[in-house]
Amino acid sequence: MNESDAPVDSGLEEFDELLILSNLETRRKFIKQVAGTSAAITIGPALLSAADATATSQIASPSKSNSDSISMTLKINGKDYTVDLDPRTTLLDALRERLHLTGSKKGCDHGQCGACTVLVNGRRINSCLTLAVMHEGDEITTIEGIANGDELHPMQTAFIEHDGFQCGYCTPGQICSAVALLKENHANSDDEIREFMSGNLCRCGAYPNILAAIKDAKTKST
Amino acid sequence: MGNVVGPAPSRVDGRLKVTGAAKYSVEFDVPNCAHGWTIESNIAKGKILSIETKDAQSAPGVLVIVSHLNAPKPKQPAVKESEALTKGIRNEMRVPFSDDAVHYAGQYVALVVAKTIEQARHAASLVRVTYAPEDPLLTMEDAEHKAVKPKKNLGDNVQIKKGDVDIALQDSNLVKIEQTYTTPTETHNPIEMSGTIAAWEADDKLTLYDATQFVKGVQSVLAGAWNLAPDNVRVICPFVGGAFGCKGAVWPHVFVAASGAKAAGLPVKLHVTRRNMFVGTGHRTPTRQTIALAATRDGKLQAMRHVSQTLTSPVGKYVESCGARSTGVMYESPSIWIEEVIYPVNIGTTTFMRAPGECPGTYALECAMDELSYSLGIDPVALRLANHADNHPTKSVPWQEVLKETFKEGIGAAKKTPAFSAKHLKECYSLGAEKFGWAKRNPKPGSTHDGDLLVGWGMATATYPAHKMSAAAKVQLRADGSAIVQCATHDLGTGAYTALTQIASEQLGLPFEKVKFELGDTAFPFGPVAGGSNTTGTVGTAIHEVAQLLHSALAELAVKDSKSPLHNLSPNDIAMAAPGQLGSKSDHSKSDAYIDILKRAGRDSIEVETKLKEMEENKKFAFQSWGAHFCEVKIDPLLPRVQVSRVVSVMNCGRVVSAKTARSQIMGGFVMGIGMALAEATEYDPKTGMPATRNLADYHVATNADVPLIDVYFVGEPDFAFNPIGARGMGEIGITGAAAAVANAVYHATGKRVRDLPITPDKLI
Repeated sequence: MNESDAPVDSGLEEFDELLILSNLETRRKFIKQVAGTSAAITIGPALLSAADATATSQIASPSKSNSDSISMTLKINGKDYTVDLDPRTTLLDALRERLHLTGSKKGCDHGQCGACTVLVNGRRINSCLTLAVMHEGDEITTIEGIANGDELHPMQTAFIEHDGFQCGYCTPGQICSAVALLKENHANSDDEIREFMSGNLCRCGAYPNILAAIKDAKTKST
Repeated sequence: MGNVVGPAPSRVDGRLKVTGAAKYSVEFDVPNCAHGWTIESNIAKGKILSIETKDAQSAPGVLVIVSHLNAPKPKQPAVKESEALTKGIRNEMRVPFSDDAVHYAGQYVALVVAKTIEQARHAASLVRVTYAPEDPLLTMEDAEHKAVKPKKNLGDNVQIKKGDVDIALQDSNLVKIEQTYTTPTETHNPIEMSGTIAAWEADDKLTLYDATQFVKGVQSVLAGAWNLAPDNVRVICPFVGGAFGCKGAVWPHVFVAASGAKAAGLPVKLHVTRRNMFVGTGHRTPTRQTIALAATRDGKLQAMRHVSQTLTSPVGKYVESCGARSTGVMYESPSIWIEEVIYPVNIGTTTFMRAPGECPGTYALECAMDELSYSLGIDPVALRLANHADNHPTKSVPWQEVLKETFKEGIGAAKKTPAFSAKHLKECYSLGAEKFGWAKRNPKPGSTHDGDLLVGWGMATATYPAHKMSAAAKVQLRADGSAIVQCATHDLGTGAYTALTQIASEQLGLPFEKVKFELGDTAFPFGPVAGGSNTTGTVGTAIHEVAQLLHSALAELAVKDSKSPLHNLSPNDIAMAAPGQLGSKSDHSKSDAYIDILKRAGRDSIEVETKLKEMEENKKFAFQSWGAHFCEVKIDPLLPRVQVSRVVSVMNCGRVVSAKTARSQIMGGFVMGIGMALAEATEYDPKTGMPATRNLADYHVATNADVPLIDVYFVGEPDFAFNPIGARGMGEIGITGAAAAVANAVYHATGKRVRDLPITPDKLI
């Protein structure tokens, strides 16, 4: 995306959506989904298995007999996955434990480290702080979907070139976050990049290299 | 061989890491894997009276609940401390669930195994545990009567007395300082939390996917615990998401996962929660260090006393030897007194964290040196140069070496202390000062400004010993000219995959792209713990040896082959002549390519493996890495939050094998030092002993916004007296002295000497 085309963001409006319950539209969606969840629980397993039959890509489940699970379809990296999930399942656990998309990392499970960052409808979120059931119909992009087939995204190439990681565990989150950062138009100075990347912790301390990688990728993508 | 091996390649595992394809331990897809969720004690000391599991048992998905009442009990694995580095490390000596005793808050008391994480977590909330609490010991003062002075730590003396410190400290002609420095509990917090998948393949066969710095150690300890043949325990760990020491020992969760899997009859995945990473996988002890220094007016040290008080747990065995590993090695002084005192308290077990001993030790010592420089009115760099140690200040030359030297050179010729090998610390100071612009520093505290901000410049010496261990390696060379090299070593983010591929490429004489290095699997030849910055040198040496074996094996084939130009030569006359070529040492016109030798012999491949042997130490020298950090801070005087704004680090670590990853190691060490200096502290409730900071929002590690550009330089030459690779390692040295450089800069900026880390704004107001 051309950097100059990006809308100038005050930086304030994204907080609206982060505070899920203060945003009307998002709140409505949340309530609707939770209502859907309760309905599914009352309908019971028989109907659920009927729903399973229509699934586009059914994921085998060791806990399929569990009557608390509901069927849902998640669109991840352009592909539909239909899966039976306990409604308490976070998006992160759905990705890692059920869909075997282990690229998104669990580093704290509290939204404090950023290792689980994924893009939902193009925005970066902590997938450990949101329930999978809230994301039916959303476009979810994980680290596995950042590259274009075998061709790495310029951000991925820049992270390799500038040694923007050591252990690599925070890296998928850093890269997802950095890709979104460029779209947010929050990469206009070193200090701005540092500030807007500070939700992604790197205990190995690769920060100066992460900064260099983001600046390089920005140059290459404009 | 130059000091830097070829151009700086990017990490060989880079693509896997940026695409999310690198598989960390709990990410392996083990069929029918159940999930574990632990229940921890909420008292620090006492007994478990009852564990009520009825509600939890009937919760959906629950398979089994394991505690001391019903756990399939492993036995206490017998590992001698002297064998820890080869047979597995345990800092916490108690096997979990072995009885009803509680030794610290957060101790695992039960495990719920269920089909999913959600079910296990919910059921765990239904388990009710009752306790008979007792008064815990939580501080050094509480545990005064139980204090001990350990003689040794991992074989090294930690109580050291050289000369008479008291006489110098009472000499009124000398300039003296005496101060106490304290550091809080620090927790490693790698972003990958520890975790284990335990799968019993049969009653006597166990596979573990474990986040560990020591696969062979986990194998040995678990085999001992469950009475299994070591070969029947396989431990797999191709990637570690950071460790910094907390994945070196075998911690309780590994036993817990294996017990849970045994009881459930299914594989069990136990991902330690961030909350429990503050308790169950070790932490750096808080330290209280009192340092006394006495120097002549021209700055020559006459006495150094370093008393260090640290904690351990009642079930732990760990000494953070701050004094021995800083004051014991750093400067020349006729008298040195080092004392270590440890206090067992009812808090989770302490362990090694990046530069254990050296890190807090150099913080205290290098702050004390800064204070002395101000008392003397001597520049901090000049003071350090005046006390430079060419020889190890406290280590004696072994008597065998003294005898040898005396026999050769006559009585009196032998040195009493070994010289440091390939030490270039003076160049670290001079290059660092030049790059930083140190000469322009006005030493007066509070004298330098940038607009409204106070500016401070500080420096400190870094040091870390070169550790040598034993490893073995295997190589398979294929007829297409590619090779696979294997060793059960580890890459914690250190760059081992890349550096060891480079060493293998050089030693084998094969192109970098044709060599694949594999690690992290007990099926491979022995690799020691990835700790003590030993991996590059230790495994590099094993690769050096296996390359020689491979060359000999190829030579054997060539001399028997009538079509080879090397036919009928003595194998001793044959060595690598050029990459991919063996040649005659006496007749340079005769050479043969590896792949031609293999093809003519009709072989697809050839495989050789070294035998694990006792490590040989060069006792003639002392081996230690050195460095100097120069740091600038900026502080708003109204809200005195410290921002590190510029860093120059110059290091002398022997050979730099992998320039790109080496720079990252030093940089990362300093970044952790910024966290240590300014923010990191694990606090405990003074009544209950529960950690009060148990997550990453309360325990503040450095973020991107806290870190400036960090310039890293390397000086010196390969240290071939140490090992054939010439590398002394660099995983830990970057953090040593880092917090002192920051603290000294804060003093220079503000005139306030904060001797209690971290330096939070409240301490500067």
